[in-house]
Amino acid sequence: MNTRTLNSLWMLMRREVWESPFAFKWAPLCIGGLIILFTVVMLILGARFDSDMAFTLDAVRMFADMPTDQKRLVVSGFLFASSNLFLQVMILVILFFLAGSLYDDRKDRSILFWKSLPISDTLTISSKLATAALMVPALFLGAIILTHLALLLIASGYALVAGINPFTNLWWPASLPRLWTVMAAGLVVQALWLMPIYAWLLFCSSWAPRLPILIAVAIPAGFSIAQHSYSLISGFKLPELNLGLIMLKRLGTGVLPGNANIDMDSGFDNIQFSEDLYMSFANVGAHLIKPEMWVGLAIAAVLIAGAIFFRRRATDN
Amino acid sequence: MSSIIKAKDLRRSFGPVHALDGVDLDIPAGRIVGLIGPNGAGKTTALKAILGLSSYQGELSVLGLDPARERDHLMQDVCFIADVAVLPRWARVRQIVDLTEQLHPNFSRERCLHYLKATQIRPDSKIRALSKGMIVQLHLALVMSIKARLLVLDEPTLGLDILFRKRFYSNLLNEYFDEERTIVITTHQVEEVEHILTDLIFIKDGKLIVNESMESIHERYTEVMVRPDQLEAAKALGPLHERVLFGRHILLFNEPDREKLEALGEIHRPSVADLFVALMGEKE
Repeated sequence: MNTRTLNSLWMLMRREVWESPFAFKWAPLCIGGLIILFTVVMLILGARFDSDMAFTLDAVRMFADMPTDQKRLVVSGFLFASSNLFLQVMILVILFFLAGSLYDDRKDRSILFWKSLPISDTLTISSKLATAALMVPALFLGAIILTHLALLLIASGYALVAGINPFTNLWWPASLPRLWTVMAAGLVVQALWLMPIYAWLLFCSSWAPRLPILIAVAIPAGFSIAQHSYSLISGFKLPELNLGLIMLKRLGTGVLPGNANIDMDSGFDNIQFSEDLYMSFANVGAHLIKPEMWVGLAIAAVLIAGAIFFRRRATDN
Repeated sequence: MSSIIKAKDLRRSFGPVHALDGVDLDIPAGRIVGLIGPNGAGKTTALKAILGLSSYQGELSVLGLDPARERDHLMQDVCFIADVAVLPRWARVRQIVDLTEQLHPNFSRERCLHYLKATQIRPDSKIRALSKGMIVQLHLALVMSIKARLLVLDEPTLGLDILFRKRFYSNLLNEYFDEERTIVITTHQVEEVEHILTDLIFIKDGKLIVNESMESIHERYTEVMVRPDQLEAAKALGPLHERVLFGRHILLFNEPDREKLEALGEIHRPSVADLFVALMGEKE
């Protein structure tokens, strides 16, 4: 890949942000705004019940007296939890983006403009995938970081009023560099984990005559129902391997960078709340050596090749 | 001189319909070629094959490349404007210029801004908010700022008013065209392009009916407004087509003996539109 190709790829990714500024830029900023607004409203309500702030400030001081380990768990855990909403919305944004990415320009005929540029179909599709796997997560992570900073600033105000040091009691335990780096790494691993789903949507988008998202859902759903019906009629027990369930499980285990660590099959009873759930490089990295990861990537490669095949033949009708 | 477009036995079928039925083309550099045909004659199919937008059977090479397999290389030297505005509607003018600058190695931003200055298009406008004429102007400004060797125009002025259409072609001719470049135009408004064409291709049911330079067409076809008393004599010479205007019979001949014709009435050079009707109209 030479510089010109990389430059074109970067430009094509920026164009996706230009095309969907609301979903990619304003949606994460709005979520951050909502979280901060919600926090402020709660604090104002709290101040009305606790008029001279005695209980609130006591609570802050009690927090400051906790052992360092626990402070760390509380602050970083709280900040991680505040990013859940972002990440769930992000997955929805990415799924809808991919389903429309090779369809919308066929519908409004602007594909004729894109195809008049000296850009190969492979590069076009790479740009869509890179947007879904890197660009959108980066923008959402940016909004998460801004929200974290705003929440810590608000908390620092309370800490100062309570007479405790916000740096040693809040900013240091938050371990922001580590939290953000694990999240960034987690987002990349998550994108690889979800790559077969992403590739499936892209594949459907490349040929669907209309409503690509419905087609992308209907095909695996239809498969599952047919499979279920067959096993009911034929008297066999329900099959272990069900396409629809496999895809749903992929999505379910991939929604948060952390929750792929949870073993869904053994239930949720033995989950210990600890930093390992969300702040461990080892746990994030562990997904890379799972066979499911590589099977998924192999399936994704086939689907992406299919999408390129159809894109090459696609015109405006 | 090397060929810009070379096709041999080009074919494309949609089910039983032959959109292209054995088309041979050899278009050299520095020509303005009009590809004229009735609706559904295969014009757009031919252009799409040339631009690498659809598959085909037969041999085709554009600028020495195979368009179906090397579209991205080809598009460095080929530009096209399709029959309706196809610029992405969500984009702003400024973004489209930035995009083309970054994605097209032969694009000159200065030239594009120079052309845009002459229009009412503002850099911050959304394409969605521009009129159809303005979108075509913008597209033309983009395309004229690319140093391309082949420009393909598929009904570029469809739906525009006459002022726009005149300006479109005069811009194209005065500011863009030179002997290094080749332009292929399809249009229904034959009269408007007639005077700028160097070559004429008529296509019907996927076959080329005429494929000649304008000079040879002017030499070959002659129209005679026949004096009433000479009508029988004129018809005996085997005209291609006959029409009646204000009671006078006008007959079109292919490679006639000019001296004989001069005796029959006034001789004209047929317009492309008349030629089109004569050669492509349903035989009675």
